[in-house]
Amino acid sequence: MLKILVVCGAGLGSSFACQMSVESVLQDIGVKADLDHSDISSAAGTRADIIISGKNFESQFQRYDLPMDLIFLERLVDKAEIEEKLVPVLKAKGAL
Amino acid sequence: MGFIDFIINSILTQASITIALIAFAGLLLQRKPFGEVMSGSFKTMLGFLVLSAGSSIIVGSLLYFGEIFSEGFGMEGIVPSIEAINGQAMNELGLANQIALTFLAIFIFNILLARLTKWKYIFLTGQALLWMATITTVFGSAAGFRGIGLILVGGLVGGIFAVAMPAIAQPIVKKITGGDDIALGHFCTIGYLFAAGIAKVVGKGSDSTENIKFPKGLGFLSDTYLSVAIVMMPLYVITAAFAGSEFGTALSGDVNYIVYAFLQAVQFVVGVYVLLSGVRLLLGEIVPAFRGIALKVVPDAKPALDCPVLFPYAPNAVTAGFVTTTIGTVIAMFVLPWFGLAMILPGMLTNFFAGGTAGIFMNAVGGRRGVLIGGIAHGFFITLLPALLVPSFNGLGFVNTTATDVDTVTAGLLFEWIIQPIMSLFG
Repeated sequence: MLKILVVCGAGLGSSFACQMSVESVLQDIGVKADLDHSDISSAAGTRADIIISGKNFESQFQRYDLPMDLIFLERLVDKAEIEEKLVPVLKAKGAL
Repeated sequence: MGFIDFIINSILTQASITIALIAFAGLLLQRKPFGEVMSGSFKTMLGFLVLSAGSSIIVGSLLYFGEIFSEGFGMEGIVPSIEAINGQAMNELGLANQIALTFLAIFIFNILLARLTKWKYIFLTGQALLWMATITTVFGSAAGFRGIGLILVGGLVGGIFAVAMPAIAQPIVKKITGGDDIALGHFCTIGYLFAAGIAKVVGKGSDSTENIKFPKGLGFLSDTYLSVAIVMMPLYVITAAFAGSEFGTALSGDVNYIVYAFLQAVQFVVGVYVLLSGVRLLLGEIVPAFRGIALKVVPDAKPALDCPVLFPYAPNAVTAGFVTTTIGTVIAMFVLPWFGLAMILPGMLTNFFAGGTAGIFMNAVGGRRGVLIGGIAHGFFITLLPALLVPSFNGLGFVNTTATDVDTVTAGLLFEWIIQPIMSLFG
Protein backbone atom coordinates (compact mmCIF):
# COMPACT_ATOMS: atom_id res chain seq x y z
CA MET A 1 0.00 0.00 0.00
CA LEU A 2 0.96 3.63 -0.53
CA LYS A 3 2.82 4.90 2.52
CA ILE A 4 2.59 8.56 3.53
CA LEU A 5 4.67 9.99 6.35
CA VAL A 6 3.88 13.34 7.97
CA VAL A 7 6.83 15.06 9.64
CA CYS A 8 7.40 17.83 12.20
CA GLY A 9 10.09 18.81 14.68
CA ALA A 10 9.23 16.46 17.53
CA GLY A 11 6.97 14.10 15.60
CA LEU A 12 4.20 14.44 18.13
CA GLY A 13 1.70 17.25 17.84
CA SER A 14 1.53 19.14 14.60
CA SER A 15 2.53 16.22 12.38
CA PHE A 16 -0.24 14.22 14.03
CA ALA A 17 -2.80 16.99 13.54
CA CYS A 18 -1.68 17.21 9.91
CA GLN A 19 -1.92 13.43 9.54
CA MET A 20 -5.55 13.53 10.66
CA SER A 21 -6.31 16.22 8.07
CA VAL A 22 -4.54 14.20 5.36
CA GLU A 23 -6.57 11.18 6.41
CA SER A 24 -9.86 12.98 5.90
CA VAL A 25 -8.71 14.39 2.54
CA LEU A 26 -7.81 10.86 1.40
CA GLN A 27 -11.18 9.64 2.55
CA ASP A 28 -12.92 12.35 0.55
CA ILE A 29 -11.07 11.52 -2.66
CA GLY A 30 -11.29 7.78 -2.04
CA VAL A 31 -7.62 6.85 -1.77
CA LYS A 32 -6.40 4.23 0.68
CA ALA A 33 -2.96 4.76 2.18
CA ASP A 34 -0.88 3.81 5.16
CA LEU A 35 -0.34 6.95 7.25
CA ASP A 36 2.11 7.68 10.02
CA HIS A 37 3.84 10.66 11.61
CA SER A 38 7.38 11.14 12.80
CA ASP A 39 10.11 13.61 13.74
CA ILE A 40 12.51 15.07 11.22
CA SER A 41 15.58 13.28 12.62
CA SER A 42 13.98 9.91 11.99
CA ALA A 43 12.27 10.81 8.71
CA ALA A 44 15.36 10.44 6.55
CA GLY A 45 15.70 6.81 7.57
CA THR A 46 12.07 5.85 7.03
CA ARG A 47 10.63 4.21 3.98
CA ALA A 48 7.64 6.10 2.62
CA ASP A 49 6.30 6.96 -0.80
CA ILE A 50 5.32 10.51 0.09
CA ILE A 51 6.52 12.78 2.88
CA ILE A 52 4.41 15.74 3.95
CA SER A 53 5.83 18.47 6.17
CA GLY A 54 5.69 22.16 6.97
CA LYS A 55 7.22 24.78 4.68
CA ASN A 56 9.64 25.66 7.48
CA PHE A 57 11.31 22.24 7.13
CA GLU A 58 11.96 22.48 3.41
CA SER A 59 15.60 23.55 3.72
CA GLN A 60 16.38 20.71 6.10
CA PHE A 61 14.93 18.06 3.82
CA GLN A 62 17.13 19.30 1.01
CA ARG A 63 20.20 18.08 2.87
CA TYR A 64 19.00 14.49 2.76
CA ASP A 65 18.38 14.12 -0.98
CA LEU A 66 15.45 11.79 -0.48
CA PRO A 67 14.05 9.65 -3.30
CA MET A 68 10.39 9.99 -2.33
CA ASP A 69 7.95 12.77 -3.20
CA LEU A 70 8.05 15.67 -0.78
CA ILE A 71 5.15 18.00 -0.11
CA PHE A 72 5.56 21.16 1.97
CA LEU A 73 2.53 22.90 3.41
CA GLU A 74 2.00 26.53 4.42
CA ARG A 75 -0.84 25.54 6.71
CA LEU A 76 -0.54 22.08 8.19
CA VAL A 77 -4.23 21.42 8.78
CA ASP A 78 -5.71 23.23 5.78
CA LYS A 79 -7.54 20.51 3.85
CA ALA A 80 -7.88 22.63 0.71
CA GLU A 81 -4.12 23.13 0.52
CA ILE A 82 -3.44 19.45 1.29
CA GLU A 83 -5.78 18.35 -1.47
CA GLU A 84 -4.36 20.85 -3.94
CA LYS A 85 -0.78 19.66 -3.37
CA LEU A 86 -1.44 15.96 -2.79
CA VAL A 87 -3.73 15.19 -5.71
CA PRO A 88 -1.11 15.81 -8.47
CA VAL A 89 1.37 13.58 -6.64
CA LEU A 90 -1.18 10.83 -6.24
CA LYS A 91 -2.08 11.07 -9.92
CA ALA A 92 1.57 10.84 -10.94
CA LYS A 93 1.88 7.73 -8.80
CA GLY A 94 -1.23 6.23 -10.35
CA ALA A 95 -2.96 6.02 -7.00
CA LEU A 96 -5.79 8.23 -8.17
CA MET B 1 -12.01 -14.54 45.02
CA GLY B 2 -8.46 -15.53 44.20
CA PHE B 3 -9.07 -14.79 40.56
CA ILE B 4 -10.57 -11.35 41.22
CA ASP B 5 -7.67 -10.51 43.52
CA PHE B 6 -5.31 -11.56 40.77
CA ILE B 7 -7.09 -9.28 38.28
CA ILE B 8 -7.10 -6.32 40.66
CA ASN B 9 -3.67 -6.69 42.19
CA SER B 10 -1.63 -8.08 39.36
CA ILE B 11 -3.27 -6.87 36.17
CA LEU B 12 -5.07 -3.58 36.78
CA THR B 13 -2.16 -2.21 38.79
CA GLN B 14 0.00 -2.55 35.70
CA ALA B 15 -0.46 0.79 33.98
CA SER B 16 0.61 -0.52 30.59
CA ILE B 17 -2.18 -3.09 30.74
CA THR B 18 -4.76 -0.60 32.01
CA ILE B 19 -4.05 1.85 29.25
CA ALA B 20 -4.06 -0.93 26.63
CA LEU B 21 -7.48 -1.97 27.93
CA ILE B 22 -8.72 1.63 27.62
CA ALA B 23 -7.55 1.71 24.00
CA PHE B 24 -9.10 -1.74 23.46
CA ALA B 25 -12.48 -0.52 24.76
CA GLY B 26 -12.28 2.68 22.68
CA LEU B 27 -11.50 0.77 19.50
CA LEU B 28 -14.30 -1.75 20.16
CA LEU B 29 -16.74 1.12 20.74
CA GLN B 30 -15.87 2.51 17.33
CA ARG B 31 -16.53 -0.96 15.84
CA LYS B 32 -13.10 -1.22 14.29
CA PRO B 33 -12.17 -4.50 12.60
CA PHE B 34 -10.66 -7.14 14.90
CA GLY B 35 -7.14 -6.78 13.50
CA GLU B 36 -7.10 -3.03 14.11
CA VAL B 37 -8.43 -3.45 17.63
CA MET B 38 -5.66 -5.87 18.50
CA SER B 39 -2.83 -3.96 16.85
CA GLY B 40 -4.09 -0.67 18.28
CA SER B 41 -4.26 -2.03 21.82
CA PHE B 42 -0.86 -3.64 21.53
CA LYS B 43 0.77 -0.50 20.13
CA THR B 44 -0.69 1.51 23.01
CA MET B 45 0.84 -0.89 25.52
CA LEU B 46 4.14 -0.96 23.68
CA GLY B 47 4.16 2.84 23.65
CA PHE B 48 3.65 3.00 27.36
CA LEU B 49 6.55 0.66 28.06
CA VAL B 50 8.85 2.42 25.59
CA LEU B 51 8.02 5.66 27.40
CA SER B 52 9.08 4.13 30.72
CA ALA B 53 12.31 2.85 29.21
CA GLY B 54 13.10 6.34 27.89
CA SER B 55 12.42 7.85 31.25
CA SER B 56 14.88 5.60 33.04
CA ILE B 57 17.55 6.63 30.55
CA ILE B 58 16.81 10.31 31.32
CA VAL B 59 16.86 9.73 35.05
CA GLY B 60 20.21 7.93 34.85
CA SER B 61 21.71 10.85 32.98
CA LEU B 62 20.19 13.45 35.33
CA LEU B 63 21.48 11.65 38.42
CA TYR B 64 25.00 11.88 37.04
CA PHE B 65 24.50 15.52 36.08
CA GLY B 66 23.17 16.38 39.53
CA GLU B 67 26.30 14.97 41.15
CA ILE B 68 28.80 16.78 38.96
CA PHE B 69 26.81 20.02 39.17
CA SER B 70 26.71 20.14 42.95
CA GLU B 71 30.42 19.21 43.08
CA GLY B 72 31.36 21.76 40.42
CA PHE B 73 29.27 24.73 41.54
CA GLY B 74 28.42 23.95 45.15
CA MET B 75 24.71 24.27 44.47
CA GLU B 76 21.82 22.42 42.99
CA GLY B 77 21.17 22.85 39.28
CA ILE B 78 17.70 21.90 38.20
CA VAL B 79 16.99 20.66 34.68
CA PRO B 80 13.45 21.62 33.71
CA SER B 81 11.96 18.64 31.88
CA ILE B 82 8.34 17.63 32.08
CA GLU B 83 9.29 14.38 30.34
CA ALA B 84 11.61 13.54 33.23
CA ILE B 85 8.91 14.43 35.77
CA ASN B 86 6.47 12.17 33.98
CA GLY B 87 8.96 9.30 33.87
CA GLN B 88 9.86 9.58 37.53
CA ALA B 89 6.23 9.87 38.62
CA MET B 90 5.35 6.76 36.62
CA ASN B 91 8.30 4.62 37.65
CA GLU B 92 9.78 5.74 40.95
CA LEU B 93 6.58 7.02 42.59
CA GLY B 94 4.42 4.24 41.19
CA LEU B 95 1.69 6.62 39.99
CA ALA B 96 1.54 5.27 36.44
CA ASN B 97 -1.88 3.74 36.75
CA GLN B 98 -3.44 6.84 38.26
CA ILE B 99 -1.84 9.02 35.59
CA ALA B 100 -3.26 6.80 32.83
CA LEU B 101 -6.75 6.96 34.32
CA THR B 102 -6.55 10.72 34.98
CA PHE B 103 -5.51 11.16 31.35
CA LEU B 104 -8.73 9.40 30.35
CA ALA B 105 -10.73 11.46 32.87
CA ILE B 106 -9.37 14.72 31.38
CA PHE B 107 -10.63 13.61 27.96
CA ILE B 108 -14.07 12.95 29.38
CA PHE B 109 -14.25 16.22 31.33
CA ASN B 110 -13.03 18.08 28.24
CA ILE B 111 -15.91 16.67 26.18
CA LEU B 112 -18.43 17.39 28.93
CA LEU B 113 -17.24 20.97 29.42
CA ALA B 114 -17.17 21.62 25.68
CA ARG B 115 -20.70 20.28 25.44
CA LEU B 116 -22.08 22.21 28.42
CA THR B 117 -20.21 25.52 28.35
CA LYS B 118 -19.49 28.19 25.75
CA TRP B 119 -15.91 26.99 25.43
CA LYS B 120 -16.29 24.61 22.48
CA TYR B 121 -12.70 23.38 22.35
CA ILE B 122 -11.48 19.83 22.04
CA PHE B 123 -7.87 19.62 23.18
CA LEU B 124 -6.04 17.31 20.81
CA THR B 125 -2.42 17.72 21.89
CA GLY B 126 -2.16 14.36 23.59
CA GLN B 127 1.30 14.71 25.12
CA ALA B 128 0.32 18.01 26.79
CA LEU B 129 -2.66 16.25 28.37
CA LEU B 130 -0.39 13.46 29.53
CA TRP B 131 1.90 15.97 31.24
CA MET B 132 -1.15 17.68 32.77
CA ALA B 133 -2.40 14.32 34.07
CA THR B 134 1.05 13.72 35.54
CA ILE B 135 1.08 16.98 37.48
CA THR B 136 -2.50 16.76 38.77
CA THR B 137 -1.81 13.20 39.91
CA VAL B 138 1.48 14.04 41.62
CA PHE B 139 0.15 17.12 43.39
CA GLY B 140 -3.31 15.69 43.95
CA SER B 141 -1.87 12.73 45.79
CA ALA B 142 0.46 15.04 47.73
CA ALA B 143 -2.66 17.01 48.74
CA GLY B 144 -4.15 13.83 50.16
CA PHE B 145 -6.44 12.61 47.38
CA ARG B 146 -6.60 8.88 46.79
CA GLY B 147 -8.27 6.42 44.48
CA ILE B 148 -11.23 7.59 42.44
CA GLY B 149 -11.21 11.03 44.11
CA LEU B 150 -7.67 11.65 42.88
CA ILE B 151 -8.65 10.76 39.33
CA LEU B 152 -11.84 12.84 39.34
CA VAL B 153 -10.21 15.96 40.81
CA GLY B 154 -7.29 15.66 38.39
CA GLY B 155 -9.66 15.06 35.49
CA LEU B 156 -11.76 18.08 36.39
CA VAL B 157 -8.80 20.44 36.84
CA GLY B 158 -7.19 19.14 33.62
CA GLY B 159 -10.52 19.34 31.78
CA ILE B 160 -11.00 22.97 32.79
CA PHE B 161 -7.51 23.84 31.57
CA ALA B 162 -8.19 21.95 28.32
CA VAL B 163 -11.10 24.24 27.42
CA ALA B 164 -10.06 27.45 29.18
CA MET B 165 -6.53 27.77 27.73
CA PRO B 166 -7.60 27.56 24.06
CA ALA B 167 -10.45 29.97 24.91
CA ILE B 168 -8.24 32.69 26.38
CA ALA B 169 -5.74 32.36 23.53
CA GLN B 170 -8.36 32.46 20.79
CA PRO B 171 -8.63 36.26 20.29
CA ILE B 172 -4.92 36.46 19.41
CA VAL B 173 -4.97 33.15 17.48
CA LYS B 174 -7.72 34.62 15.31
CA LYS B 175 -5.55 37.64 14.67
CA ILE B 176 -2.61 35.38 13.70
CA THR B 177 -4.43 32.92 11.45
CA GLY B 178 -7.00 35.35 10.10
CA GLY B 179 -9.73 32.81 10.78
CA ASP B 180 -11.62 31.02 13.50
CA ASP B 181 -11.22 27.38 12.37
CA ILE B 182 -8.43 26.21 14.61
CA ALA B 183 -7.50 26.87 18.19
CA LEU B 184 -4.24 26.51 20.09
CA GLY B 185 -3.95 23.50 22.38
CA HIS B 186 -0.67 23.91 24.20
CA PHE B 187 -0.24 24.23 27.93
CA CYS B 188 2.07 27.25 27.82
CA THR B 189 -0.78 29.63 27.13
CA ILE B 190 -0.55 31.71 30.31
CA GLY B 191 3.03 32.50 29.29
CA TYR B 192 1.90 33.50 25.78
CA LEU B 193 -0.66 35.93 27.14
CA PHE B 194 1.80 37.31 29.69
CA ALA B 195 4.34 37.86 26.90
CA ALA B 196 1.72 39.31 24.56
CA GLY B 197 0.57 41.69 27.30
CA ILE B 198 4.08 43.07 27.72
CA ALA B 199 4.63 43.19 23.97
CA LYS B 200 1.46 45.20 23.55
CA VAL B 201 2.58 47.78 26.09
CA VAL B 202 6.13 48.24 24.81
CA GLY B 203 5.63 47.52 21.13
CA LYS B 204 3.30 50.26 20.03
CA GLY B 205 3.89 51.04 16.35
CA SER B 206 6.79 48.58 16.01
CA ASP B 207 7.18 46.86 12.62
CA SER B 208 6.49 43.11 12.17
CA THR B 209 9.34 40.60 12.48
CA GLU B 210 8.26 39.10 9.19
CA ASN B 211 9.79 42.04 7.34
CA ILE B 212 13.31 41.28 8.59
CA LYS B 213 15.72 39.02 6.73
CA PHE B 214 16.83 36.38 9.21
CA PRO B 215 19.84 34.10 8.92
CA LYS B 216 18.57 30.74 7.68
CA GLY B 217 21.24 29.05 9.78
CA LEU B 218 19.04 28.86 12.85
CA GLY B 219 16.57 26.64 11.01
CA PHE B 220 18.17 23.43 12.26
CA LEU B 221 16.97 24.31 15.76
CA SER B 222 13.47 23.31 14.76
CA ASP B 223 14.85 19.76 14.85
CA THR B 224 13.92 19.06 18.44
CA TYR B 225 16.61 16.56 19.31
CA LEU B 226 19.41 18.57 17.75
CA SER B 227 18.43 21.66 19.69
CA VAL B 228 18.36 19.75 22.98
CA ALA B 229 21.75 18.21 22.20
CA ILE B 230 23.29 21.57 21.40
CA VAL B 231 22.54 22.84 24.88
CA MET B 232 23.04 19.67 26.88
CA MET B 233 26.49 18.83 25.49
CA PRO B 234 28.30 22.03 26.54
CA LEU B 235 26.30 22.09 29.76
CA TYR B 236 27.48 18.63 30.79
CA VAL B 237 31.04 19.07 29.55
CA ILE B 238 31.58 22.46 31.23
CA THR B 239 30.02 21.21 34.44
CA ALA B 240 32.27 18.15 34.42
CA ALA B 241 35.29 20.40 33.91
CA PHE B 242 34.29 22.43 36.97
CA ALA B 243 33.73 19.27 38.99
CA GLY B 244 37.33 18.35 38.23
CA SER B 245 39.04 15.22 37.01
CA GLU B 246 39.24 13.48 40.37
CA PHE B 247 35.51 13.66 41.06
CA GLY B 248 34.64 13.08 37.42
CA THR B 249 36.86 10.01 37.11
CA ALA B 250 35.28 8.46 40.20
CA LEU B 251 32.01 8.43 38.26
CA SER B 252 33.36 7.66 34.81
CA GLY B 253 35.69 4.76 35.65
CA ASP B 254 38.01 3.89 32.76
CA VAL B 255 36.55 6.48 30.39
CA ASN B 256 38.03 9.97 30.35
CA TYR B 257 35.75 12.11 32.54
CA ILE B 258 35.13 14.78 29.89
CA VAL B 259 34.30 12.19 27.25
CA TYR B 260 32.03 10.51 29.75
CA ALA B 261 30.18 13.80 30.43
CA PHE B 262 29.77 14.29 26.69
CA LEU B 263 28.32 10.79 26.32
CA GLN B 264 25.99 11.31 29.27
CA ALA B 265 24.65 14.47 27.61
CA VAL B 266 23.96 12.47 24.47
CA GLN B 267 22.38 9.85 26.68
CA PHE B 268 19.94 12.51 27.92
CA VAL B 269 18.92 13.22 24.33
CA VAL B 270 18.58 9.48 23.72
CA GLY B 271 16.23 9.31 26.69
CA VAL B 272 14.09 12.16 25.37
CA TYR B 273 14.05 10.51 21.95
CA VAL B 274 12.98 7.12 23.28
CA LEU B 275 10.43 8.65 25.61
CA LEU B 276 8.81 10.74 22.89
CA SER B 277 8.75 7.74 20.52
CA GLY B 278 6.85 5.94 23.25
CA VAL B 279 4.44 8.85 23.55
CA ARG B 280 3.92 8.77 19.79
CA LEU B 281 3.05 5.06 19.86
CA LEU B 282 0.88 5.56 22.90
CA LEU B 283 -1.16 8.41 21.46
CA GLY B 284 -1.39 7.12 17.89
CA GLU B 285 -4.56 5.17 18.59
CA ILE B 286 -6.01 7.16 21.46
CA VAL B 287 -6.12 10.67 19.98
CA PRO B 288 -8.04 9.84 16.76
CA ALA B 289 -10.51 7.80 18.82
CA PHE B 290 -10.98 10.74 21.17
CA ARG B 291 -11.39 13.13 18.27
CA GLY B 292 -13.99 10.88 16.66
CA ILE B 293 -16.02 10.57 19.85
CA ALA B 294 -15.65 14.26 20.77
CA LEU B 295 -16.83 15.53 17.41
CA LYS B 296 -19.91 13.32 17.65
CA VAL B 297 -20.82 14.63 21.10
CA VAL B 298 -19.90 18.27 20.42
CA PRO B 299 -20.59 18.85 16.72
CA ASP B 300 -19.55 22.51 16.56
CA ALA B 301 -16.33 21.97 18.50
CA LYS B 302 -13.04 23.54 17.45
CA PRO B 303 -9.95 21.35 17.55
CA ALA B 304 -7.23 22.83 19.77
CA LEU B 305 -3.94 21.80 18.16
CA ASP B 306 -0.26 21.75 19.07
CA CYS B 307 1.66 25.02 18.77
CA PRO B 308 3.76 24.32 15.63
CA VAL B 309 0.59 24.57 13.52
CA LEU B 310 0.97 28.32 14.06
CA PHE B 311 4.66 28.40 13.05
CA PRO B 312 4.10 28.87 9.30
CA TYR B 313 2.11 32.06 9.97
CA ALA B 314 5.16 33.96 11.28
CA PRO B 315 8.39 31.94 10.92
CA ASN B 316 10.67 34.88 11.77
CA ALA B 317 8.77 35.52 14.97
CA VAL B 318 9.35 31.88 15.95
CA THR B 319 13.11 32.24 15.65
CA ALA B 320 13.10 35.66 17.32
CA GLY B 321 10.85 34.51 20.14
CA PHE B 322 13.04 31.46 20.71
CA VAL B 323 16.20 33.58 20.95
CA THR B 324 14.73 36.28 23.21
CA THR B 325 13.04 33.72 25.47
CA THR B 326 16.34 31.88 25.82
CA ILE B 327 18.04 35.15 26.84
CA GLY B 328 15.31 35.57 29.47
CA THR B 329 15.82 32.06 30.83
CA VAL B 330 19.58 32.60 31.08
CA ILE B 331 19.04 35.84 33.01
CA ALA B 332 16.56 34.08 35.29
CA MET B 333 19.03 31.23 35.87
CA PHE B 334 21.48 33.69 37.45
CA VAL B 335 18.97 36.00 39.13
CA LEU B 336 16.60 33.54 40.84
CA PRO B 337 19.21 32.01 43.21
CA TRP B 338 19.71 35.51 44.73
CA PHE B 339 16.14 35.29 45.94
CA GLY B 340 16.68 31.92 47.52
CA LEU B 341 15.15 30.00 44.62
CA ALA B 342 16.77 27.08 42.84
CA MET B 343 19.03 27.56 39.85
CA ILE B 344 16.93 26.47 36.85
CA LEU B 345 19.00 25.65 33.77
CA PRO B 346 17.51 26.72 30.44
CA GLY B 347 15.19 24.03 29.07
CA MET B 348 15.64 24.06 25.33
CA LEU B 349 12.57 22.05 24.40
CA THR B 350 10.30 24.57 26.08
CA ASN B 351 12.36 27.52 24.95
CA PHE B 352 11.93 26.49 21.36
CA PHE B 353 8.27 25.52 21.32
CA ALA B 354 6.93 27.94 23.93
CA GLY B 355 9.40 30.70 23.02
CA GLY B 356 8.61 30.33 19.33
CA THR B 357 4.88 30.44 19.86
CA ALA B 358 5.19 33.35 22.27
CA GLY B 359 7.14 35.08 19.49
CA ILE B 360 4.17 34.74 17.15
CA PHE B 361 1.82 36.08 19.82
CA MET B 362 4.10 39.00 20.69
CA ASN B 363 4.67 39.89 17.06
CA ALA B 364 0.92 39.94 16.45
CA VAL B 365 0.37 42.62 19.09
CA GLY B 366 3.74 44.36 19.52
CA GLY B 367 5.98 43.83 16.49
CA ARG B 368 9.78 43.60 16.77
CA ARG B 369 10.15 45.64 19.93
CA GLY B 370 7.39 43.55 21.47
CA VAL B 371 9.19 40.31 20.64
CA LEU B 372 12.50 41.57 22.00
CA ILE B 373 11.32 42.89 25.37
CA GLY B 374 8.32 40.59 25.76
CA GLY B 375 10.46 37.56 24.93
CA ILE B 376 13.01 38.28 27.64
CA ALA B 377 10.17 38.77 30.14
CA HIS B 378 8.61 35.53 28.87
CA GLY B 379 11.84 33.62 29.45
CA PHE B 380 12.04 34.99 32.96
CA PHE B 381 8.40 34.13 33.65
CA ILE B 382 8.61 30.53 32.42
CA THR B 383 11.68 29.99 34.62
CA LEU B 384 10.21 31.63 37.72
CA LEU B 385 7.07 29.48 37.89
CA PRO B 386 8.88 26.12 37.71
CA ALA B 387 11.38 27.42 40.30
CA LEU B 388 8.50 27.88 42.75
CA LEU B 389 7.66 24.19 42.40
CA VAL B 390 11.20 22.90 43.03
CA PRO B 391 10.90 22.55 46.84
CA SER B 392 7.75 20.46 46.40
CA PHE B 393 9.36 18.26 43.78
CA ASN B 394 12.38 17.72 45.98
CA GLY B 395 10.13 16.90 48.91
CA LEU B 396 8.31 14.34 46.80
CA GLY B 397 11.56 12.62 45.84
CA PHE B 398 12.13 13.83 42.28
CA VAL B 399 15.73 13.98 41.10
CA ASN B 400 17.20 17.33 39.99
CA THR B 401 14.30 18.28 37.83
CA THR B 402 11.18 20.40 37.65
CA ALA B 403 8.16 20.72 35.40
CA THR B 404 7.95 22.95 32.33
CA ASP B 405 4.89 24.25 30.49
CA VAL B 406 3.53 27.12 32.58
CA ASP B 407 -0.13 26.06 32.48
CA THR B 408 0.82 22.65 33.80
CA VAL B 409 2.99 24.31 36.45
CA THR B 410 0.08 26.59 37.32
CA ALA B 411 -2.11 23.53 37.86
CA GLY B 412 0.57 22.22 40.24
CA LEU B 413 0.66 25.53 42.10
CA LEU B 414 -3.15 25.52 42.27
CA PHE B 415 -2.99 22.20 44.11
CA GLU B 416 -0.11 23.34 46.28
CA TRP B 417 -1.45 26.78 47.27
CA ILE B 418 -5.23 26.41 47.19
CA ILE B 419 -6.51 22.84 47.06
CA GLN B 420 -4.09 21.37 49.59
CA PRO B 421 -4.78 24.02 52.31
CA ILE B 422 -8.52 23.49 51.81
CA MET B 423 -8.05 19.73 52.04
CA SER B 424 -6.10 20.07 55.28
CA LEU B 425 -8.91 22.20 56.79
CA PHE B 426 -11.23 19.24 56.34
CA GLY B 427 -8.66 16.53 56.91
